Amino acid sequence: MMIKNGILVNWTISSQPNKMPFEEIYKTYWQKVFRVCMGYANDYDLAKDMAQEAFIIVWQQLPKFRNEADIGTWIYRIATNNCLRQVERQKRFPKAALPLNLEEDKQVNVEPQLQLLYRFISELSETERIIISLELENAKQSAIAQIVGLSEANTRVKIHRIKEKLTQKFKEHGNA
Amino acid sequence: METPDIDFKELWASQNTEQPNLADLLQRVDRYKKSRRRHTVLANLSLSITAAFILFVWYYYQPQLVTTKVGIVFIIAAIALYIIAINKSRSLFRQADESNNNQQYLNNLLEIKAKQQFIETTVLNSYFALLSFGIALYMYEYASHMTMVGAAVTYGITGIWILLNWFYLRPLQIRKQQARLNGLIDKLKSMQDQLNQE
Repeated sequence: MMIKNGILVNWTISSQPNKMPFEEIYKTYWQKVFRVCMGYANDYDLAKDMAQEAFIIVWQQLPKFRNEADIGTWIYRIATNNCLRQVERQKRFPKAALPLNLEEDKQVNVEPQLQLLYRFISELSETERIIISLELENAKQSAIAQIVGLSEANTRVKIHRIKEKLTQKFKEHGNA
Repeated sequence: METPDIDFKELWASQNTEQPNLADLLQRVDRYKKSRRRHTVLANLSLSITAAFILFVWYYYQPQLVTTKVGIVFIIAAIALYIIAINKSRSLFRQADESNNNQQYLNNLLEIKAKQQFIETTVLNSYFALLSFGIALYMYEYASHMTMVGAAVTYGITGIWILLNWFYLRPLQIRKQQARLNGLIDKLKSMQDQLNQE
């Protein structure tokens, strides 16, 4: 900052205003991105891998990020696109709806209810999994629309339907 | 039994995982970059060595006939085309912009897959054609020094080998590539349809 004749003439701000450093992004978004990946993959180790991959992309792309977009939306786009990209690795990709498999047993303290939630989500289609994971992650519906590329109205309808499906699945399970 | 309404959000938020430390993550970036580089280098090296060997033969044995030289050029052109095309096809993926929305990203991937399909089929066909033609020309000078029978046997065996390549190995390889790409394309399209459903 420079003051000449009592007037502020040069207000220096950092060259990249509002830009979050990577470490901070990583700290803030790790759990969120991991949970979204978990919703997509229903496999603890795979989800962790996918989340790490997503952050590698974030790290690589960060210099290109422009502040006109919301950083959260931007990160979720990268993370969910990376989920969709998993189709290329089908071989190591687990089949949906492996019922409470052994893999999950080694996780610490995963409540049965939570396991059920993951299982029911894994029975949804790929894009439904993404939409509901973002919704459960408390992303705004307008943000979800921007991440997925749908209109807000359409997104709202989809979220509502998916929630109905999940509730239905829980009810059926409870009655079984 | 009536199941009470479940708070999905609360349940969802209860899942956490230990955060790998940043140094580990950056190390992974490093490893990934190295392995990618190694992969490209290895693929290119084997073909480049072949080309270098052919050039060495040209230089060392000084072929007399123009057919031999043209043959060599064809063989090297086949190898170069293959190297360039495969590298290009692999690097196409880096063009997909991950910061697009899912809908655009799926479109991106589909376009890339279609391009890959084209490159891989066209290039494989050209590779086999150039290589076969090149070998046939290249052999002419050496076969012309042989007896008629010798030359016939040499060309006969090479001819059978080329036919085997063209009618058996080439379609097989193309089919394999197409099956892999078509599977991916179908899956990507089905994801796109999921989004377009009302």
